[in-house]
Amino acid sequence: MFIAFLIWIIIIIFALILGTYLCYRIEKHGVKRWGATGSLFKYNPKSEE
Amino acid sequence: MIYLVILGLYAAFIVWTSIKSLKQAESMSDFTTGGHRMGLLLGIGTTTATWVSVASVMGVPGYLYSNGVSAIIGWVAGWFLATSLIPLVAYKIRRPKTPARTFPEYIHLRFEPFRKVSHLRTIVGLTMFVGYFLFVHLQVVGFGIVFSTITGIDYKFAIFAFLIFLLFTSIGGFWSVAATDTLNTSLIVIGVILGGASVLVAAGGWDSIVNTISTTTSPTNIGGEALAAGSMISPIGTFGLGALFAIFMSNAVGSIVSPHWVTRMLAPKNIKVAVLQIMGSVLVLTVIFIPLIIMGLGAKTLIPSLPEGQTTDYIIPVIIQQYTPPLVGALTLVALCAAAVSSANSMLLHCATSVYYDVYLNIFRNKKVTEKKFNMNLRIGMFLIAVIAVFSAITPPWFLAMGFTYVYGGFGAVFFAVVILGLYWKRMNRAAAYVSMLVGLATYVIAMIASATNPFLIALIASLIGVMAVVFLTKKPPVEAYEPYFETDISPSTEQVFTNVQRNEDKIVADGEEKMIKKDA
Repeated sequence: MFIAFLIWIIIIIFALILGTYLCYRIEKHGVKRWGATGSLFKYNPKSEE
Repeated sequence: MIYLVILGLYAAFIVWTSIKSLKQAESMSDFTTGGHRMGLLLGIGTTTATWVSVASVMGVPGYLYSNGVSAIIGWVAGWFLATSLIPLVAYKIRRPKTPARTFPEYIHLRFEPFRKVSHLRTIVGLTMFVGYFLFVHLQVVGFGIVFSTITGIDYKFAIFAFLIFLLFTSIGGFWSVAATDTLNTSLIVIGVILGGASVLVAAGGWDSIVNTISTTTSPTNIGGEALAAGSMISPIGTFGLGALFAIFMSNAVGSIVSPHWVTRMLAPKNIKVAVLQIMGSVLVLTVIFIPLIIMGLGAKTLIPSLPEGQTTDYIIPVIIQQYTPPLVGALTLVALCAAAVSSANSMLLHCATSVYYDVYLNIFRNKKVTEKKFNMNLRIGMFLIAVIAVFSAITPPWFLAMGFTYVYGGFGAVFFAVVILGLYWKRMNRAAAYVSMLVGLATYVIAMIASATNPFLIALIASLIGVMAVVFLTKKPPVEAYEPYFETDISPSTEQVFTNVQRNEDKIVADGEEKMIKKDA
């Protein structure tokens, strides 16, 4: 039972790490239309305007 | 009585939201991808609601009840892995300044940008039609089970009530679907948490549940084969390693490249919102799945065996009705209905769009339709498909969760190379796209008919071997095919070709424009 839950938890952590890495890449590229707003997680809708 | 009141309130809210959203679906782009302007909160709401289907809220707890914790690896972990990898698709597919409006349109742009009529696109549209029809069919089955439990109406008649929900949630296109989805997500979260807590209390706590599933030998159905003691806490369960791996792979890899997820990644305002919406959805889904796991495993303590002939898909509605207070039960069962409605409306939209826009209008290039007529035809198509799906569900052939696994396996076998290699490998070309899709589809169908243990993996390997052979034997793709997905700034020739393809798609003209065309003629 422990193994089943462990696999699930590892995948959840992996999802958050991969998402963070991709947000970091978007910020690093600095391309505004991709969503680069100078903040890793915060999305600022005003930057689109 | 309270069950019917809560269900009636839910139905009224759906009708109100749908009619309100109807006004927002003005253009074709609005109808299919919400005009590529969806914000984060609505994105999390609609992604979560589409994700949580009857397979998640009824099928998976059913397998937890019959097979134990191994279902967590096969379905829950498989689907979560797919969700965690979907941002990789978003990261690339959302790059062009004017992204594709449908999944088949992406295939057209990436592999046949110089062709007016894309046969590849037609094949994709037809495959999607079949896959999404099956998905809608499964949602109808799940809804019918819940609705018949709530109302006491025979399942065969209960499924027809689904048409009312589908009619209203689908008429407004993407915005209607997204708006009702956000409501559905809230309902699902509240419903399953209350249901999970009630089952946990009724079963005597988590220790009692673990104790029961560790020692039980009660068969799933009365008169059936007794379970081996301890099999329900084994990570492999009664599936066997090969079968469990096959289920996990189909759910994990097949889901990533499923057209509805690819299209979902086209709807957000930009790539970052797409990635963040998936991360947010993973957290919400975790909150939803903890009570669902408690309900699935706790059911074994409360009802050791189901009556003969009743499938495990019924276990959640049955324990909710028997072991939770009426108000909690009503909210939880409406949450199950919401899961069916929120997935079915989205899948119905894909089903109708693929067959009308990507197959019919792609083949009959000279047809010009106004936006009004386009939206009307799409709505009529959606309703007809819904009617056929309801009739097909009178005698359901599959278990809910396994039905999803089969369709995801098929999508993975057909679309893996064109999505993942198409987005991450410049060398992936048109010939390889044809080979990957046709070989993947044929191998998957043959492997399924031959009852192979892992039809998805066999089909995927065959498809990838075909891709490798063809890619290096044929010419490189033109730069216009891949540049928008690999470069920030694209060359003028690529921009021209990209614009031409999307302009050629504009068979749908504004109402006033049609009058001008007639006048010119």
